Amino acid sequence: MVSSGKPKSSSPILADAGIGLRSAHHQALLREQPRVGWIEVHTENYFHDGGPHVRALERARETYPLSLHGVGLGLGSNDALDRTHLERVRRAVDRFAPALVSEHACWGSFEGEHFNDLLPLPYTDETVEHLSRRIAQVQDALGRQILVENLSCYLAFSSSRLTEWEFLAAVVERAGCGLLLDVNNAYVNACNVGLDPVAFINGLPRDAVQEIHLAGHTQRAIGEHVVLIDDHGSRVPEAVWNLYELAIGHFGPVPTLIEWDTNLPDLSVLLGEATRAQACLDVAHGLAA
Amino acid sequence: MASLPELQARFSAAVRGDPDALACEVSSGGIDAAGRVSIYRSNSLAMFEGALERTYPVLRRRVGDDYFHQLARGYRARHPSRSGDLHWIGEHFPGYVANTETGTGYEWLAELAALEWACETALVARQEPAVGPDSLAGLPPDQLGATGLRLQPSLRCIATSFPVLDVWRANQPGADGAPIDLARGAQCVAVSCSEAGLELRELSPAVLEFIRLLQDEATLGEAVDRSRIPIETLPDALGLLFEAGLVTAVRPAESETHQ
Repeated sequence: MVSSGKPKSSSPILADAGIGLRSAHHQALLREQPRVGWIEVHTENYFHDGGPHVRALERARETYPLSLHGVGLGLGSNDALDRTHLERVRRAVDRFAPALVSEHACWGSFEGEHFNDLLPLPYTDETVEHLSRRIAQVQDALGRQILVENLSCYLAFSSSRLTEWEFLAAVVERAGCGLLLDVNNAYVNACNVGLDPVAFINGLPRDAVQEIHLAGHTQRAIGEHVVLIDDHGSRVPEAVWNLYELAIGHFGPVPTLIEWDTNLPDLSVLLGEATRAQACLDVAHGLAA
Repeated sequence: MASLPELQARFSAAVRGDPDALACEVSSGGIDAAGRVSIYRSNSLAMFEGALERTYPVLRRRVGDDYFHQLARGYRARHPSRSGDLHWIGEHFPGYVANTETGTGYEWLAELAALEWACETALVARQEPAVGPDSLAGLPPDQLGATGLRLQPSLRCIATSFPVLDVWRANQPGADGAPIDLARGAQCVAVSCSEAGLELRELSPAVLEFIRLLQDEATLGEAVDRSRIPIETLPDALGLLFEAGLVTAVRPAESETHQ
């Protein structure tokens, strides 16, 4: 079957719970058509001209509002913006007409070598200017606003002069982008680099947060210390749920995604986590009414 | 204080293997910088190797995890990732394996890698509507030889010296992975992707060459002549292409121009 072409319009994502859709769950999702508010996929997995994954997403988006979440643009890299990659993002956005498009506040390549990881940035005025300029270039190329996600970090730079929330607020103001708040990342950073997660949430520009991510993490011992690794490979921990409730108490109901990328369980497990997030959102909706 | 470009240069050096390159830029918080950087180094390596494992699952199964990781690390040193899209990381792997295994008695691994790369690229190719054999029906018989066929973009033609299609089939999920006698010799394989998924067909050398020539825009007459396909097998070869949905258009004979 040939692509039916560009969808006529994107379905809006309401302040409901969604799931990250991975190819292992394509057929189960299409077969069972579960009740879930929306889906999100990694943009780079749908760069291709065809194939079963692209066809599955074209079918899924007929039922579910869609978000495209990029992991490979390296917005903060000092390397020139990868125009080929950006053009592929633009084609994916045109093809799938997502309601939301997001990327990360990170860098990923140096002198042409890509590390294929989300690498941390120092929180300085220089970085604010560089990252904002690059986000603006991407938004110009796509003709729309993007959301930028706070990163999980395993180190902090001594050169940082801003807090993480001051940094993100400055980027939002300068670039005109929105924010994707990853609550798990905030929790991980609290443990790994001493971030105050409550101050972080309270310090973000309230109107900029348009999406929330929830995920699990694991632990790794380094010497006598334990570092939390943001591996998206388990259920959302209770401490992260607690922080999430605090976040939606502050921001109000926000579209919330369950991310799960490694040790992928049955789709029903993701849906169970989404049901719990939806219950939190329903409470927030009630409070907001 | 390092500038952003300087910091990324030092970070890159640290991830590439110099753990002290970033030490003066990191707030330790009780964990030394080298330990923190090691997380990024292992993450980056895991992403690279994971992408390669997903592209070459049969090769990995045949050589075992340890040797596959050794191959992957050597390959990464020679061909580091040049894209934020992990999909193309394995593009040069068959050539790398060919160079690595030359003279070792394991040259067939490079052919297996080439087959797996063909599968990987076929799976993401554009799929066009197929046409049936009736699309040839209206053509005058005397123009048939000058007619061409356009084939599915996913179609890949692979000729190997070793029976790597048999190896591939024996190592699919659920298969027993039984060793294949490499003395069975050469195989010719057509790889394509349809609605049903990946399709691999063993063909005779002449039929494979016939299809490859059609892919290169030879006319039917040219493809028959140059492939030396036995004329009695031509109906079956054309039948296979049409029945498998591999023909997307008939390219009519070009009209002759007279000056």
